Amino acid sequence: MKKLKLSIEGMHCSSCALNVEKSLKKVRGIKTASVSLMLKKGTIEAEENLSLEDVKKAVAKLGYKVTKIEE
Amino acid sequence: MNHKHHEKADDGEIRSWKKRLIGSWILTIPIALLMLLERIFDVALLPMPYAIILILLLGFPVIFIFGWGTIRGGLRGLFTFYFNMDSLIALGTLVAYITGILSFTNIVQDYSGVAAMIMAFFTTGKYVEAKARGKAGQEIRKLLELGAKKARIIRNNKEFEIPIEELNKGDIVLIKPGEKIPTDGIVIKGESSVDESMVTGESLPIEKTKGSTVVGATINQDGVLYVKATKIGKDTFLAHIIELVEEAQGSKIPIQKLADKITSVFVPSILVLAVITFAAWFFFSKDLSRSIAVSVAVLVIACPCALGLATPTALMVSSGMGAKKGILIRKGEAIQTMKEVKIIVFDKTGTITKGKPEVTDIKILDKQSEKEFLEDAASLEHLSEHPIAKAIVLKTGMKTYKKVKGFKTLRGRGLEGNIGKDAFLIGNQTLMKERKVPIERIFSFIEQCEEEGKTTMVLAKNKKVLGAIAVADAVKEESREAITYLNKKGYKTVMLTGDNERTARAIAQQVDIKEIRANVLPEEKVKIVEELQKEAMVAFIGDGINDAPAIKQSNVGIAMGTGTDIAIEAGDIVLTHGSLQGAVQAMNLSKATFIKIKQNLFWAFAYNVIAIPLAVSGLLHPVVAEIAMALSSITVVSNANLLRRKKI
Repeated sequence: MKKLKLSIEGMHCSSCALNVEKSLKKVRGIKTASVSLMLKKGTIEAEENLSLEDVKKAVAKLGYKVTKIEE
Repeated sequence: MNHKHHEKADDGEIRSWKKRLIGSWILTIPIALLMLLERIFDVALLPMPYAIILILLLGFPVIFIFGWGTIRGGLRGLFTFYFNMDSLIALGTLVAYITGILSFTNIVQDYSGVAAMIMAFFTTGKYVEAKARGKAGQEIRKLLELGAKKARIIRNNKEFEIPIEELNKGDIVLIKPGEKIPTDGIVIKGESSVDESMVTGESLPIEKTKGSTVVGATINQDGVLYVKATKIGKDTFLAHIIELVEEAQGSKIPIQKLADKITSVFVPSILVLAVITFAAWFFFSKDLSRSIAVSVAVLVIACPCALGLATPTALMVSSGMGAKKGILIRKGEAIQTMKEVKIIVFDKTGTITKGKPEVTDIKILDKQSEKEFLEDAASLEHLSEHPIAKAIVLKTGMKTYKKVKGFKTLRGRGLEGNIGKDAFLIGNQTLMKERKVPIERIFSFIEQCEEEGKTTMVLAKNKKVLGAIAVADAVKEESREAITYLNKKGYKTVMLTGDNERTARAIAQQVDIKEIRANVLPEEKVKIVEELQKEAMVAFIGDGINDAPAIKQSNVGIAMGTGTDIAIEAGDIVLTHGSLQGAVQAMNLSKATFIKIKQNLFWAFAYNVIAIPLAVSGLLHPVVAEIAMALSSITVVSNANLLRRKKI
């Protein structure tokens, strides 16, 4: 298990943040996801073999952008 | 860490809404004038088809250029089934705009001007909301930017200024008066006072001399300090604080869950409702234009945003207020649980008391030399990490010790070991009783010390008492005031300690604690919390190091930081400075925040419950509906900002 912090750009309403959260939770390997509209950040807990591309895609699909991924 | 990014992202959002807002209104004002003149004063500046064409032309950039982000996001949401509030606005404005085009066929009235006005008001609302949200996060942003950007280091006797990222552990940093201390470290030369208020909430400057620890991002006041960097980057105290605060923003408060559930089904429900409204209106009135207008009003009045913003904005303001005072709310849930708490359990050492025991009395029996007595005691005690042991060693000031064989720590009771051929024991009464050492001869001394709240350690050689050392751990200045306040508020206050009953009672009396549990072994703390939890919800306040399990077990765990170490993993709430006043403030802040959250959720629910039926019944013009919607989320965010007025 590892914990990642995502910086997400483009969210401007709380349903956006909830949608990103929902979409992230569907990514294979992600166990928990929480997205803060206020900080424009998401925190995920995921398995070691998580593909960062999948994470970016899950966010991009909704029209937002992951600008940074930190451990 | 790149904290600058935050501010940019936030400012960028406000700026981008502002641009769109200005652009939208420049074009929307003429549209509004045209519409007003025509509808209200019945003055047509242009013949009908030309007026509509002009409105369509003016409205196009408002919707498809300035509003493009919203339209695109909204449509994407509709097609991917990840509905968001943009979906409602996009649909509402598009439908209204299309009526303008369709109006040439004379089947509907033109609402394209309304479309532009909806978008302009929406943009305005978003701008104001983004600003209010920015304000809600202002303290936290300040915290994120608190870190020093540069450091002045000494290498080969020369000064260099380097960016903070290039600083290494072990570097010697020079800090002149008025400068920010770049990172955590230890003073190796110089004397000064340091203002640590921005990081720990401690308001008075703290004297620093050789050997003192300093915290990064605090301000050196009047002297020059040479500091060896001990922690850099992510390991610094400030970085930990930031991490805690950020983590809290992502944590969910139970009361928000219902709001989140509603938000997630809200938009599709409104879409269905708008369709039903349209069908019903058309069925009963046969007026297509009116039916469209009513359903557009339904689309744009519904506001999931206020529901979604209610909790996070209040939490953000509250975290910022707390952080300023050295209160870090780590788990949002604690805010909700706090109001249920009825029992507050305090660990004694380090929480109520300073946690730095000092030797106060020494009683030596018979005709022994004090020197030998203390040498024996210190030789045993210097092998232990216990604070009392350290106090005794400190008192003797010894540098070399006698050789101890067979040393053993007897948990919660004392120590044993052999010096030469003699078997020594040092510890409390329990230990002496256990080993059948008669203590009658020293009992009155022990009793007297305990009455004064001191802890006594008896030293015995070959089962014969040599004497005793009394140690006192002074009560923190603010402890009594804080506990009296909590008693008055109706909490049951309980103190846990490893001391015996009499010592514990003496301390309890000093600080006005009503109930004590004495002779508690460290591992028993959890059990006591569990027991008390059968009565009511329990908050446990401890120093977070030895008390971690009890802090976790309690409903709200408050960990008190000591100096530069904070037990990140332990508490739901972490206090960066070890004052019980901080605990009181944390409780008050939690309660005030929860009340604010409830208010916000109430307004958000009430707004939708009242506004949606009004729109369905056709009583609201679509533009009025949009204004009401914008106001509802602004109200929620502004109300959260009002939390700042609360004295905690």
